[in-house]
Amino acid sequence: MGITAINGFRYASCPAAILAAGMLFAPVAQAGEKLATGVIRDLEYGEVLFSFYQDDYFSALSKLLVARDAGRVSHHETEAELLLGGLYLSYGQHERAQEIFDRLLTDPVDSAIQDRAWFYLGKVQYQRGRFADADAAFRKVGNDLPQYLDAERRLLMSQGLMARGMFAPAAAILESWQGPDELLAYGRYNLGVALVRMNRLEEGARLLDKVGRMSGDTEEIRALRDKANLALGYAYLQEELEGQAKPVLQRVSLHGPFSNKALLGVGWVDAIQQNYRQALVPWMELKSRDLLDSAVQESLLAIPYAMGRLEAHGSAAQNYLTALDVFDTEIGRLDTAIESARSGTMIPALLEADNPQIARWYWQLERVPDTAQARYLYHLIANHELQDGLRNYRDLMALQQHLDRWAEKLEAFDDMVATRWLAYRQRALPTSTQIDAVDLDRYLARRDRLAGELEAIERSRDIAGLANARERTLWQQLQALEDHPAWQADGLDDARQTWRVLKGFLSWKLDREYKYRMWQQKRSLDGLNEALAQAVRRRDSVDVRLDSVPRELEAFSDRIAAVLPRIERMRAEVAAALMRQQNGIQVLAVRELEAQKERLATYRIQARFALATIYDRATASTD
Amino acid sequence: MTAGLGILLLCAAGAGIAEQAESLDGQVQNLKSEVLDLNRELFMLEEELLFPANTQVSVFVSMDIGEYFALDSVQLKLDGKPVSNYLYTDREVEAMYRGGVHRLYLGNLKTGSHQLVAIFTGKGPHGRDYRRGATLDFEKSIGTKFVELQISDRQIKQQPEFLVREWE
Repeated sequence: MGITAINGFRYASCPAAILAAGMLFAPVAQAGEKLATGVIRDLEYGEVLFSFYQDDYFSALSKLLVARDAGRVSHHETEAELLLGGLYLSYGQHERAQEIFDRLLTDPVDSAIQDRAWFYLGKVQYQRGRFADADAAFRKVGNDLPQYLDAERRLLMSQGLMARGMFAPAAAILESWQGPDELLAYGRYNLGVALVRMNRLEEGARLLDKVGRMSGDTEEIRALRDKANLALGYAYLQEELEGQAKPVLQRVSLHGPFSNKALLGVGWVDAIQQNYRQALVPWMELKSRDLLDSAVQESLLAIPYAMGRLEAHGSAAQNYLTALDVFDTEIGRLDTAIESARSGTMIPALLEADNPQIARWYWQLERVPDTAQARYLYHLIANHELQDGLRNYRDLMALQQHLDRWAEKLEAFDDMVATRWLAYRQRALPTSTQIDAVDLDRYLARRDRLAGELEAIERSRDIAGLANARERTLWQQLQALEDHPAWQADGLDDARQTWRVLKGFLSWKLDREYKYRMWQQKRSLDGLNEALAQAVRRRDSVDVRLDSVPRELEAFSDRIAAVLPRIERMRAEVAAALMRQQNGIQVLAVRELEAQKERLATYRIQARFALATIYDRATASTD
Repeated sequence: MTAGLGILLLCAAGAGIAEQAESLDGQVQNLKSEVLDLNRELFMLEEELLFPANTQVSVFVSMDIGEYFALDSVQLKLDGKPVSNYLYTDREVEAMYRGGVHRLYLGNLKTGSHQLVAIFTGKGPHGRDYRRGATLDFEKSIGTKFVELQISDRQIKQQPEFLVREWE
């Protein structure tokens, strides 16, 4: 129908506009959420989960990638892969996510992991708009998917089928639903709206009615209920089933975000049934509400129209004049806002007011601060396309901050490496000098000499070789006496006897103690060997360190130097993308504001035309 | 113009912008991917430069059910020197209940004997203020040292339990 004409006046809030609203997306779990972690066997895997459970996907991803590369999550290998895939998916990295799930499915894994992998693979395809592939993946999921993920799978399957125009199988999935009621309600709402748009009102109405009557008192359920009732009410209105439309529209909460359109619709039901006095009740309520809402704008024309039908032409004229005044003021404000958007001052404010935590779907205009600019900011943020732009803008801002932080850190790393160079140069020379001053090779040569001597003594069993200094002197003295030319002279028999006793005693002593002394000498030599080996090791380790430090520092310097231009390039790319994104948002904002202005201008023409008609009639009756 | 028509016109006019937005979206995803790779490299560089494996020490905090203790903060001393005093948010505590492990401290220690003292504060059984300490004497050898401060429930005594565990 599009535009309905009632006795010359056209009401604008057409059902098509209400039903043209996009598909609702349930706040379903993010990929990989609520993992059954069990016992943590790698602390760094637990650290990844710490970020993940706080929805900090970027940190979780970065930590997981580092830990995985360093082999520190080996006890959770498969879970970690699954989590990595889920994180990539949540972070919009579909190709990487798909690679991981494909890999998980080619490796032999248990059925629970396999089911999750098929589920996430389906989700990747779904998010990329490949609904048939998504469906194929979803259908491969077995019986080991946790219930909360299975509910999401069914919802996505039904939505994918709807996207392919396959409403009957989509409905069948929702009919055999076993999952949380809220998710079912989203599915039913989407299917109901889709069927109504295909002129299958009866089937669509059945589903929308179920959602519109669902119990529950959370903000989300209230909003979903209101939205279903509004859609159904306008669908009935479109089919000229006013009797059915009114009770459905009256189910919409009076103070919810959809109340304006519901009030307008209720008024139109009465007007169509020519109950103009009755129609004025909801429209007069609307009149005092925020003028940004198209329903409120329309009520300003609807009120004098009803008054005119009630023959209260004076009041009608007065109300048309008021409407013109209000439209003019609002058009003036819109001009200022458009100018502000064009000049670039509004968008930074828009970005500042942007709050990712606030879902646009239960946006409440009455909560908006009442400054001229702020009214439009919040209204714009509620726009779907702008939301997508803002999401990218937020992501880019986060990237910029990451890059800025790294650039700062790298500067500090560079300073640190320079300081280490300085410290190295200050210590390296004195250390080298000290090492050079100790002639370790000389000690080693002496040790070798000693070892050789001991070996010779052992080979020839030279018992005197192991004599101590006193014994050695005595041995030499005895030897000298024997070698003396006068030693064989007569009269020295006693002396020679004594000499023999002494030499015999000494030989006996040295011989008796030979083994013990040899063992002692060898033990000493072993000690010496150990001490010298330790000294060599230390010298070598210092040598290695002296050699390796410059290499390590150079490697660090090289890595820093290599990464700096990359950061700079990426910073420039992010800045350019931010600028493009901001421009895109600006264009959308201007278009949105201009569309509003255009709508008001149309209303203004209608008001002037109606006013002129009233004046003409008044003049004609006077004549 | 009607609101419905207005929306349709806006959609038609926005088609070009949507295409542009799509290509921009692709660029944003590529940039995100590049920054992720860069991030991984830089995290590794940072760790190798600031906390080389030979001297690295990490202290983690983990929690199980938490029925008898609601964690507020942990103070950590190493060899008598305070090195961390961390106040937990509800969101962080919730993440730990679900299996997340918080790295409370990352630093360097020389090889040899050291002492770690952790003081936990929070609400104990019956919502009473609760403060408990745990001590660990440990040897730092060559290679990274991981210590886990584990908060768990001792069912029999209906009291929290604070354990310190060394990981190799």
